[in-house]
Amino acid sequence: MIQLLRIELFKIFKRPRTYISFGIVTAITFVIQLAMLSDGKSFVGFALQGINEQFDIHGNILNGYLVAYIILQSLLIHIPLLVALVAGDTLAGEANLGTLRLILTKPISRAQLVMVKFTSSFIYTVLLIVWLAIVALFLSLLLFGKGDMINLKSDAFVMLLQNDVMWRYAAAFIFAVLAMTTIASMSMFLSAFADNSIGPIMSTMGIVVVLTILSNLELPLFNLIKPYLFTTHMIGWKGFFDDPVPYSAIYKSAGVLVLYTIGFITATIFYFNKKDIKS
Amino acid sequence: MRKYISLLLVLILPFSVHVHAAEASALFESLRHKVLSVKDYTADVKMNINVTYMRIPQLKGTLYFKSPNKMRLERNGGLSILPKKNINLTLSNLIPTGNVTVIEVGTAMIGTKKVRVLKVIPEDEKSDIILTKMWVDEHDLLALRTETTTRNDGTVIMDLEYANYMSYGLPDKVTIYMDLKDYKLPKGVTMDYNNETATQQPKDKKNQKGTIKITYLKYDINKGLSDAIFNKADKE
Repeated sequence: MIQLLRIELFKIFKRPRTYISFGIVTAITFVIQLAMLSDGKSFVGFALQGINEQFDIHGNILNGYLVAYIILQSLLIHIPLLVALVAGDTLAGEANLGTLRLILTKPISRAQLVMVKFTSSFIYTVLLIVWLAIVALFLSLLLFGKGDMINLKSDAFVMLLQNDVMWRYAAAFIFAVLAMTTIASMSMFLSAFADNSIGPIMSTMGIVVVLTILSNLELPLFNLIKPYLFTTHMIGWKGFFDDPVPYSAIYKSAGVLVLYTIGFITATIFYFNKKDIKS
Repeated sequence: MRKYISLLLVLILPFSVHVHAAEASALFESLRHKVLSVKDYTADVKMNINVTYMRIPQLKGTLYFKSPNKMRLERNGGLSILPKKNINLTLSNLIPTGNVTVIEVGTAMIGTKKVRVLKVIPEDEKSDIILTKMWVDEHDLLALRTETTTRNDGTVIMDLEYANYMSYGLPDKVTIYMDLKDYKLPKGVTMDYNNETATQQPKDKKNQKGTIKITYLKYDINKGLSDAIFNKADKE
């Protein structure tokens, strides 16, 4: 199993496509940081205008913690695409290259192969999120400095003391790994049906975009289905930046994401076991 | 006989009212003089902001004040949040300056203390303060409560508790009650996480009240604070 995992990881990290993801994360982060360096104060002024009518807030509002939060908010919509780039290729890519049959001639079960491919996708996801933490959080702290963090919700202004923020980021990144693992498992599930990787990657993105829109639309019809959509729970990491932290809601969201992940992997194994592999 | 008594009353009553008004004015002037004798101070404070739409932990820091209206909270690199300049946190900002009309409206009890209640109306029509109602402890010459109606910032009520700095008229604990406007951002912009601890909204959104509780731990009074301390705050 370990040997097989090593081979899978070697395959993933040998491809230039893998590093494109890390490059994209870096590029988007740099662009947002540059924008915040040049015009961040007016952005903050606009966001705080409701509060500024009644209170004077002084100090380093635009600090590394706030910038990292803004980056995460925008990137966690794009990261599913980057995860799908690798996870969507795991089975379909092999089928496309004609190596899937060859692999399955070895003494491993199909379920083992799916699990190894899922584990390698998970490791890639973890590394991508770790890289995101490095460029979004640590680089932002280097560029913008530390300070108390503000979090603007639609109905509340939350302020977190600077010595109370780091653990929240650690928890948020762990939650982000969980959310992206769900995406990886879905992408791999779609990959099992295809013979080239474009289909699963595009399908993953399509599903994520449509469900994210449904999760954010304030319509009574959609409110009924929202709790069952994994995209509703993918932003559970934001809960760690609330005060008090809504642990029960976060646990519920984490539970939903774990159930989806298990469901997708089980369905992949079930389908892949029955699949007639011709290439 | 009745004629004489009536005539006497008619003559005495305006005089009595005048004496009463003069007493109230003198009391207010003495209080104002005491409060305004503090030109500046530095104080270690603990501040609790309790506003429906704000979730802010207790803020500890150093509060700088310079007469007439400069104020700054410094928090060792952290953010400082103060109400808008018009609603300053000191009593001296809520007491009208210049010529005023003082009317005594009676007495009341605050805790176990009997206090005189004064209404103070500034004569300057441009003053931001329209009316200040004060509950004054005549014995210690302290304002225990003020209710100030401002032109732009609604009504500000201030409860003051004194202990160690009574001689300067500086409180050890202050609770400020202020009117607040509604706060709302579009959910499409904030992309809220729909958790179970949504902010509880008050029934009457237009008339929300917020409270700020300040505990003054230690004062340094009239040490001659430089304006640079406050200019630094403006630059941030």
